[in-house]
Amino acid sequence: MSTVAPRRGTPGQGLSGGVFAVLLVLPGLALLAAVVLYPLVSSLVTAFFEQSLVAPGRSFVGFDNLAAVLDSDFLPLLRQTLVFTVGTTLVPFVIGFGLALALNTRIRGRGFLRGALLLPWLVPAVVTSFLWMWIFNANYGVANGVLETLGVIDEPEAWLSSPGTAMAAVIIAKTWASFPWMMVMLLAGLQTVPPELHEAAQVDGAGTVRRFRSVTVPHLRGIIGLVVLLELIWNFQHFDTIYVMTGGGPAGTTETFAVAVYDTFYKGHDLGRAGAIGLLWMVLLLVLVVGYLRVVDREEKP
Amino acid sequence: MTATVEAPPAPVEVEPRPRRRSPLDRERPGVRVAAWATIVVFGGFGLLPVYWMLTTALTPDGKVFAYPPALFPTDVTFEHFAALAGNSQLFGYLVNSAIVSSVTAVLSVVVSAYMAYSFSKFRYRGRRSLMYLVLSSQMFPQALLLVTLYALFDAYDLLNTYTALVLSFTTFTLPLCVWMLKGFFDTIPDSLIEAARIDGASQLRIIHSVIVPLSGPGLIAAGLFAFVRGWNDFIFALTLAGPDKQTLPPGLTNTYLGEAQTAWPELMAASLVVSLPVVVAFIALQRFLVGGITAGAVKG
Repeated sequence: MSTVAPRRGTPGQGLSGGVFAVLLVLPGLALLAAVVLYPLVSSLVTAFFEQSLVAPGRSFVGFDNLAAVLDSDFLPLLRQTLVFTVGTTLVPFVIGFGLALALNTRIRGRGFLRGALLLPWLVPAVVTSFLWMWIFNANYGVANGVLETLGVIDEPEAWLSSPGTAMAAVIIAKTWASFPWMMVMLLAGLQTVPPELHEAAQVDGAGTVRRFRSVTVPHLRGIIGLVVLLELIWNFQHFDTIYVMTGGGPAGTTETFAVAVYDTFYKGHDLGRAGAIGLLWMVLLLVLVVGYLRVVDREEKP
Repeated sequence: MTATVEAPPAPVEVEPRPRRRSPLDRERPGVRVAAWATIVVFGGFGLLPVYWMLTTALTPDGKVFAYPPALFPTDVTFEHFAALAGNSQLFGYLVNSAIVSSVTAVLSVVVSAYMAYSFSKFRYRGRRSLMYLVLSSQMFPQALLLVTLYALFDAYDLLNTYTALVLSFTTFTLPLCVWMLKGFFDTIPDSLIEAARIDGASQLRIIHSVIVPLSGPGLIAAGLFAFVRGWNDFIFALTLAGPDKQTLPPGLTNTYLGEAQTAWPELMAASLVVSLPVVVAFIALQRFLVGGITAGAVKG
């Protein structure tokens, strides 16, 4: 994955730019500081204050907010966030990898399928949510219609408003939006596997399954690590699909860190508590990000 | 084990065409069947919902709100698209989306081109750290940033303005756009820049007259990506835009899901309309995309 740090074409020394080189990065740096760095730090700092969105002033409360969050919401939030994150990473991975392998054969129509299967990834997140809300609609939804015809269910199910099924429904919707990206990345990876390796393995008597395990998978290890980690990071902070489809309900069963922080801040006006949930969220996220940067770093070195 | 039906027509060409055959193409029927089964099941999961969105959007109300739903449309109507066209509130959201996304695209290209040029062509202390900072900035959860960003924009009277949205979206496009453009600039030889310098061109002039004309496709790709980023955003537009400046994603959500009985066919029609520019943009930039997403590791 040379694209991560393309050094080709540029001699190692680079040009002497002096002050000019620094001036060029300033506009971007200013935006990063104003929109990402400052808000990030100050949001985390509010964890230690009692502060409202609608009233001025704040008072230092130490670890009270954190203790309150750890005492009440934290474990359910952590569990639900992990279920969502792992579900929306592993299921799309299986589907994406399966399709990548299938489309890497010389079957008819693969060009069309490669393009068409990207559609779910292209549509805006709110559209994914609308579509699956309609599919899972309790009264007229096609999911109920098909499952009832097939005899899987006896009567229409209210997928999105039953605590037992809402999370699964949301994961399915997000899976639909995520698998094409994994498919594209893995397909790109598959196409870099030298055919000679497969041929050599075949000569040595390795069957399809054996070649998959001993040639394909080891060759793709880097890209698999990358897509899985990135998808974990994104899904760990995903907001749109859940918020539009269920708003974290029913009875808080689809509430994740992202939804909880947002609602606590925007609807509950409790900045201190939102910051406290955010701080715990950030610490967990950092573990994933550090893992990602290490993978990128490793890939970057030839 | 009779030779698997491979009766190749005698090679007519004198030169053997170098065929890079995928190892799987000679495969046994078992692999073929597995490939097709995968495509039918997983591909069906991917494409049937698209079919359903289209079908619902084209079906008259009377037929849509029936149970069990008819899987194949019998009546086709464009009334839902017509209803959208006549809705002035939605048109307002569309205008907001177009303005915010276009300005984001332009600003993002300018800011990220300067930044990428600096990263690509100069070597200085802290450059590598800066690059990591840009790359990792996308890893911070947006819901958390909003907790104080809301107050910050409020303090500068930027709530309910296009400016708040454009500044935010531009920032979030930096990781991908900077990486993509840096890759582009890396392929431009330094000797070209040195030659221009010897001719007396100023540093800025070199960028504008030498680099930009050579980087058209990269700049367009970055701009299209930034446009889509602004077009698709939900959480920032929902929070910072207010009712007047709201873009389509939160606008549609509030308009349709706020009602007791959602007008699903109209919402599906609207969904198709909102998705269209993204699909068009993608088709335009797809050859840059695979490298780009790996590099900046950003998803729209």
